[in-house]
Amino acid sequence: MVAKQIQRELSDMLLTDKVLQYAVLPEAALGADRYLSSLTTISDVEVSADLQVVKVYVSVFGDDRGKEVAIAGLKSKAKYVRSELGRRMKLRLSPEIRFIEDESLERGSRVIAILDRIKASKENVLDEDDEFSESSDSPQDDRDWEGDDPDDIIYVK
Amino acid sequence: MAKPLPKIGSRRNGRIGSRKNSRKIPKGVIHVQASFNNTIVTVTDVRGRVISWSSAGTCGFRGTRRGTPFAAQTAAGNAIRTVVDQGMQRAEVMIKGPGLGRDAALRAIRRSSILLSFVRDVTPMPHNGCRPPKKRRV
Repeated sequence: MVAKQIQRELSDMLLTDKVLQYAVLPEAALGADRYLSSLTTISDVEVSADLQVVKVYVSVFGDDRGKEVAIAGLKSKAKYVRSELGRRMKLRLSPEIRFIEDESLERGSRVIAILDRIKASKENVLDEDDEFSESSDSPQDDRDWEGDDPDDIIYVK
Repeated sequence: MAKPLPKIGSRRNGRIGSRKNSRKIPKGVIHVQASFNNTIVTVTDVRGRVISWSSAGTCGFRGTRRGTPFAAQTAAGNAIRTVVDQGMQRAEVMIKGPGLGRDAALRAIRRSSILLSFVRDVTPMPHNGCRPPKKRRV
């Protein structure tokens, strides 16, 4: 329950607090008018039994550079976040905050993408009634899939 | 902004107002409103007229499961399926609100065949206007 409350407060801080936003997304400081290159979300919060240590799982959507920048920015602002949380919430002792990168959403998304592709290629096989196309589709799909990631999103500086 | 609906004649398809929207729209805007308890995904055209929408609640989840990222991704998949058939290729995504649906819906859109052109965050931010609701005492 405390974890839920902390999650709400932290998400709110990520949305409204200028300092945190500049730490996560440095382009915002230049006035990028809300065109984002990466999106940071707090996916889970775990609190230790004595409420002293809080592990915050952060999921970042975007490319590798955006991920590194976001996580590094958050880790550098851990003390600031701790003081802000103490100010906003009524807790006896303000907890130590650790930011951990959360890969689970991305991994789940990759698994579902692979399953979708398998399903699609199976349907192709049933349609064409041809066994050879199935084995030749998957290696080519892998190459296409790896290649199309960097080009899709346009970054506005 | 929208043309007033004709009274009787267009009931053929069973859906009022769909006569105008059956044209092809290659570029659209996907609005994702992600609150803590639910995620609503609305697909509109560039001007803002709604084409289709879906939410975690309408996808069959109820209660606390509506707020989960899996519900958000099924809602996004549902909303996009109708539109991909109409031929939408590119879309801009506008995200509003905190909540787990932000990330999950974005990933679901990315996985589909729609090309993401921009991602924007349009959470309403007052320049210190109305007084916010009082603090929750839990």
